[in-house]
Amino acid sequence: MQFRLVRYFTLASLGMFALVALSLFYFERQQGDFFRQTGDDQRTFFGEVQQSFAKQQEESARRDLLTIHEAGNVNLTRLFANALWEKDFAPFVAQAQTIDAKACHAMADVTDDKGKKAASPEKKACFAEIGKRIAALPDFKSIDAKVFASMKKSTVFKIKVFDLRGITVYSSEHAQMGEDKSTNAGWRSAAFDGVPKSELTHRGKFSAFEGVVENRDLISSYLPVLEPGTSRIVGVFEVYSDVTPFLKQIQQTSEQIRATAAGNQAKLEAAAIENQAAVDATSYRQFATIGLLLVLLFAALLAIVRRAEKIILQQEADRAHAHQQLAQSEKMASLGQMVAGVAHQLNTPLAFSQNNILMVKDALQSMELPMKVAGKLSTILEDVEGDKVTIKVSQLKANLDKLQEGNVDVTMLQEMLKDVLGGIDQMSELVVNLRDFTRLDRAATTNADLNKSLHTVAYIAQTVIPKNIELVEDYGDLPDVECNPSQLNQVFLNLINNAAQAIDGPGRIRIRSVAEGDQVRVEVQDNGRGIPDDVLPHIFDLYYTTKPAGEGTGLGLAIARNIVTEHGGDITVSTRIGVGTTFTVTLPVRQQPPLAKAA
Amino acid sequence: MTRLAGKVLCVDDEPGIVRSLQWLLQKQFEVLTATSGAEALELVKQHDFDVVISDQRMPTMTGVEVLREVRKLSPRTMRILLTGYSDMQAIVRSVNESEVFRFINKPWNIAELPKVVAQAITIAKTQPVEAPAPEISEDAPIIANGERILVIDDDPEMGRAVSDLVGASAKVSFTRNLADAVGILNSEQVSVIVSETRVGTIDATRLVRLMKSKHPEIVTVMLTAESDADTITTLINQGQIYRFVPKPIRTGYLKLVLQSALRKHSALASDPALTFRHTVEATSAGAMESLISDVQLAAPQAETAAAAKSGGFMASLGAGFRRIFGAG
Ligand SMILES: Nc1ncnc2c1ncn2[C@@H]1O[C@H](COP(=O)(O)OP(=O)(O)OP(=O)(O)O)[C@@H](O)[C@H]1O
Ligand SMILES: [Mg+2]
Repeated sequence: MQFRLVRYFTLASLGMFALVALSLFYFERQQGDFFRQTGDDQRTFFGEVQQSFAKQQEESARRDLLTIHEAGNVNLTRLFANALWEKDFAPFVAQAQTIDAKACHAMADVTDDKGKKAASPEKKACFAEIGKRIAALPDFKSIDAKVFASMKKSTVFKIKVFDLRGITVYSSEHAQMGEDKSTNAGWRSAAFDGVPKSELTHRGKFSAFEGVVENRDLISSYLPVLEPGTSRIVGVFEVYSDVTPFLKQIQQTSEQIRATAAGNQAKLEAAAIENQAAVDATSYRQFATIGLLLVLLFAALLAIVRRAEKIILQQEADRAHAHQQLAQSEKMASLGQMVAGVAHQLNTPLAFSQNNILMVKDALQSMELPMKVAGKLSTILEDVEGDKVTIKVSQLKANLDKLQEGNVDVTMLQEMLKDVLGGIDQMSELVVNLRDFTRLDRAATTNADLNKSLHTVAYIAQTVIPKNIELVEDYGDLPDVECNPSQLNQVFLNLINNAAQAIDGPGRIRIRSVAEGDQVRVEVQDNGRGIPDDVLPHIFDLYYTTKPAGEGTGLGLAIARNIVTEHGGDITVSTRIGVGTTFTVTLPVRQQPPLAKAA
Repeated sequence: MTRLAGKVLCVDDEPGIVRSLQWLLQKQFEVLTATSGAEALELVKQHDFDVVISDQRMPTMTGVEVLREVRKLSPRTMRILLTGYSDMQAIVRSVNESEVFRFINKPWNIAELPKVVAQAITIAKTQPVEAPAPEISEDAPIIANGERILVIDDDPEMGRAVSDLVGASAKVSFTRNLADAVGILNSEQVSVIVSETRVGTIDATRLVRLMKSKHPEIVTVMLTAESDADTITTLINQGQIYRFVPKPIRTGYLKLVLQSALRKHSALASDPALTFRHTVEATSAGAMESLISDVQLAAPQAETAAAAKSGGFMASLGAGFRRIFGAG
């Protein structure tokens, strides 16, 4: 499988960049959330602080209001007591006290649905009866008039007076006369402890001196009445004074504070939002910038990688091309060597054949005259009747030399021509072997008889290598091998040439073939000088040669190995210095499908 | 039958070849054959051959080796090497070790071969034999009596190397062009020529061949980086060059060569009859004219040419050629 540089780079780097972008986005989000969270917390806290501040402010204002009014009511009571108690109320209370209320007190209370004890209606009616009886007292009318007169136009809306039993002996609201306050906490505090007790209440409807008023905030104070000159509590006043305008003011102030706080809060909120937006914008910008940089980086890297891949592919192509050219040039070189050898080999039979033919031709020419003479003689003899002929030899004698010259040894001529035929046989043998060696007229891949190929190569090699090197052929029975015989011929020729070049002087090269299961093994063994240890690891390298420049290209074994591997085979070497070297080529009998196509 | 009293031995591992040589030569000469070097040497020991013709490519013993042994066993025997194609090394060795008389190429010319053999037989029968040269060792000093050695080469290093080797015992002239060489040959008595096969762009072998055909007593040593077998074959057949020194030069070897070249020259000079043994093939008719025109073309670039008055120089150059080679 080929390594796809650009594709792998793109996948890996895009994945990596996506991861980086995601993690960046995640951390950015985290940071934003944290920012928002703390902002929210801060704002909530700030809001709460403002809120509580406003509340405290209002509470303290109310407390102040209560305290001030209580003090005012205490003074009012004193004033009132000084003015009315001695002369008017003391006798009136003394009278009212005479009315027995024990029976009413004794009446049982009821528990209302909220679990609170309250006076039953009968009990209330009982006390209301007492109130009526008090109102019926003769002094009531004048006292009531005096109270009304002095309280009119003041902020005091109601005045009540209780005796020490808790009975309402006077109320500016007459209907409340006689009511029992003995269980009221305010009354008890004033009556028993002499401590005034005030309370702020809101009333929807209230009957004041001026008549019935609505929606009012009132402060009611239970105030102990001291006997003038002593500190003895003689009764309890209850004064209702109106604080609605004050309270309104307090509420307004508080409202204002609240509004300001809300405003602040809103401003804070807006600022926070603005801040957040700014932060978000910065972070988006940051994100976009980093994204852009990453994209730029990716683009630059992609460009580099693509260029690199292009160069690599180009180099690969160049290398393949160079390799092909090398193979071609090696083929040409060995072809040239072979052609030279073959030319020489042809030269020998050619030389003696030519010599013999020319000599036979000369001989035939010199035989022309004797043949003519003999022919003439035979025609003369044919015409002669009887058995005696007379020939005038004087004419013939002049040509005797020529006749003798033509008297050639016919057996010698026959032998000459026999040698010529032998020479022609040698030449045609060479031509057949040459054709078998190149196999230009055959299919590239076939089932070939390797022994025949080996013999052809040996025959051709014999023409090239020195004559004092003996080639010994020793072939076993081989199945036909599926291969490209022309390429294998080149391999074997290279091995035999190398072997010959390793031999100084006389030597022997043994070519052997053996079948082994579904493989065949071919050995080329020489008794040459062997391969030194420092040379051995390099012999299959391209261009590696120990021969002088011009003699060896260093391609022979590299190409041989290439061809053998393409056939799915193997080439190995074993060597001993001074003893010789054996190259072994192992080939499968059948090719694997893809290799069959490549071979 | 006109049978010349001559004994020829033909050696080739291919029986067809020896048989056809025998058929070709037996009409004129007594021919014996051998199909291996060993067999041939055995015959040489038993018979007195005038000529031995040997093929170069044979198993166990090459032609050069056979002829070298023949030269040792029978120095008067003329040696002819038969080759189909041969490598440079074989040719150089045939010159330096076997001192062959001729190269004959396969296939041979059936009209020419008997003539060459006849010539060789005549020389063998009529010309005296040089005393076999004693073995010379590389460290022995060069013996000379003021002979002149002409060195022709593009590389000035060569002239210096030869001067260093011979020292004061011989005079050395060095030149880088053929016009100067002609001038020197014209004015001085040169004993040994040491020349590169190619000087500048001109093929110097023609000068050597012409020299040898007119002045066979001059001993020629060729230096060559070339590996064209044809050029060298021609040089042997037409130049009878004495030695080949392949470049790059090994000083020790060059010394040996100079040593024996000087000795050879003194032998040839003392007995002019010996020179017949180094008879060359006739050079083609136009060879001298073409050499003169080449040299003249190249002359304006030559050093002396710059100094010489051009018109007069050309005329004197032509005259010089004619004087040396005795033509016209
Ligand atoms: N049979 C052998 N014996 C000894 N050495 C060998 C043998 N075969 C190969 N070698 C060594 O391996 C080297 C590489 O051989 P290879 O055939 O690849 O190149 P080459 O023979 O030098 O050159 P080319 O084959 O191109 O002419 C040779 O130079 C030689 O040193
Ligand atoms: Mg090789």
